Amino acid sequence: MEAPPVTSMPVTGGAVNMMEYLLQGSVLDQALESLLHRLRGLSDNMDPETFTDHELVYLLKGQQGNPFILRARRSLSHPTSPWHLRYLGQPEVGDKSRHALVRNCVDVAASHSLPEFLNEMGFRMDHEFTANGHIFRKGVMKIVVSKLSRILVPGNTENTERLSLSYLVELSVLAPAGQDTVSEDMRSFAEQLKPLVHLEKIDPSKQRH
Amino acid sequence: MQQREEKQLEAAVESLISRVAHVKNALHSFIYKLENEYERLTWPSVLDNFALLSGQLNTINKLLKNEKTPSFRNQVIIPLLLSPDRDEDLAKLTELRVPVFSHEIVPDYLRTKPDPEVEEQEKQLSVEAARIGPEVAQKQIQTLNKLCSNLLEKLNNPRDDRDSETAAIRQSKPSFNPADTNALVGAVAFGKGLSKCRPPGPVAPGHPGQGPMMSGGPTLQQVTIGGGSVQQAGMGGPVAPQQQGQPGRRPGELGKIPSSIKTNIKSASGSMHPYNR
Repeated sequence: MEAPPVTSMPVTGGAVNMMEYLLQGSVLDQALESLLHRLRGLSDNMDPETFTDHELVYLLKGQQGNPFILRARRSLSHPTSPWHLRYLGQPEVGDKSRHALVRNCVDVAASHSLPEFLNEMGFRMDHEFTANGHIFRKGVMKIVVSKLSRILVPGNTENTERLSLSYLVELSVLAPAGQDTVSEDMRSFAEQLKPLVHLEKIDPSKQRH
Repeated sequence: MQQREEKQLEAAVESLISRVAHVKNALHSFIYKLENEYERLTWPSVLDNFALLSGQLNTINKLLKNEKTPSFRNQVIIPLLLSPDRDEDLAKLTELRVPVFSHEIVPDYLRTKPDPEVEEQEKQLSVEAARIGPEVAQKQIQTLNKLCSNLLEKLNNPRDDRDSETAAIRQSKPSFNPADTNALVGAVAFGKGLSKCRPPGPVAPGHPGQGPMMSGGPTLQQVTIGGGSVQQAGMGGPVAPQQQGQPGRRPGELGKIPSSIKTNIKSASGSMHPYNR
């Protein structure tokens, strides 16, 4: 059974119905340098950009089953920058003709009082983690290579433990709904990263167990 | 007897001239190519030209060292007449390179010894060489040989190392691990492997000690377990009306959630509802 086509999903409050096209993969720590080297060659000329972020995932439980999820992110390396609030819709992976996972995506910048605000609205934090790594760009494509760490003491981003011996690699594009041609570009870019990294559309629901 | 020697000399000079003419022609055509066809000239053909020149020079060397060739060293050339005037015959003979046979140029063209400066340098070097005893010289030669062989070894070995390294990377060393990919994707999607570090959570007032499940309500993982396992079961189920504000809900999911989880969610979410306070 397929979810209803993403294009028909209602997004309230956003002027444009933006979709995130996503491919995911991972690279072992020891192969990271080779990957970064290749990405530097493949992506647009720019200064290498690194980041250290703290992400908090909030849930709002309604009367019915599935909770409403919002992701709040802040930069640890630039503490004065605004927070980033993101809503991600249900991922759609079924369409074989599309080479990337597609999901609804709403991004908003927020002030530093975002956690308090969400708490007041009834959201509760479900989990948090830190991500640090590198960002590359190629046209509209964004490539993020990041190390995920779990936070050992809640709220203390200094005290973390890495989640695995690999870096998460994500290739994503934000585009208005229905522009499936971007997934073609993404696939050809992903081809160029083989055999270092295999970027695929991964159904997150299959990773639940 | 003398006649025979003279004939030999003549023949030797003759063949030397023809060989030199060959070298000259080769040089000529090479220079022409470099100047006029440098756009189409490929490196291999440049190398071919060099090989040709070096071959011809080699032949000349062989010819000079040949036993049958009389020693040109024993022949003496004496300038009989020097003149500051232009000599048309000479110019024609030398392709306009030497138009005048004068005092200025004769010492250069008929020189058999090196330049005075070069001679001076050579003298210094031989003095230097004589100063060092043969033992010291032998020692220096050995040191130099050792250095050279070490360097050669270093230059040759890294190539092997590098080759084996790249081969190893290509063959056996995987650069990624699918299990890690799944773990990381699970973590960013719904906090798999992260939730155990969840803060104790805001316990709803008035509901203390309702068990671990209740404190803070169901987590994302716990909730989605129900949703995930139902996706196949819901195939032919009754189609529930689409809930507003819950985009992407699969029809049929509602009625199929295992009852225990459902109750948990309900009671928890009921107590957690923000607007109940």
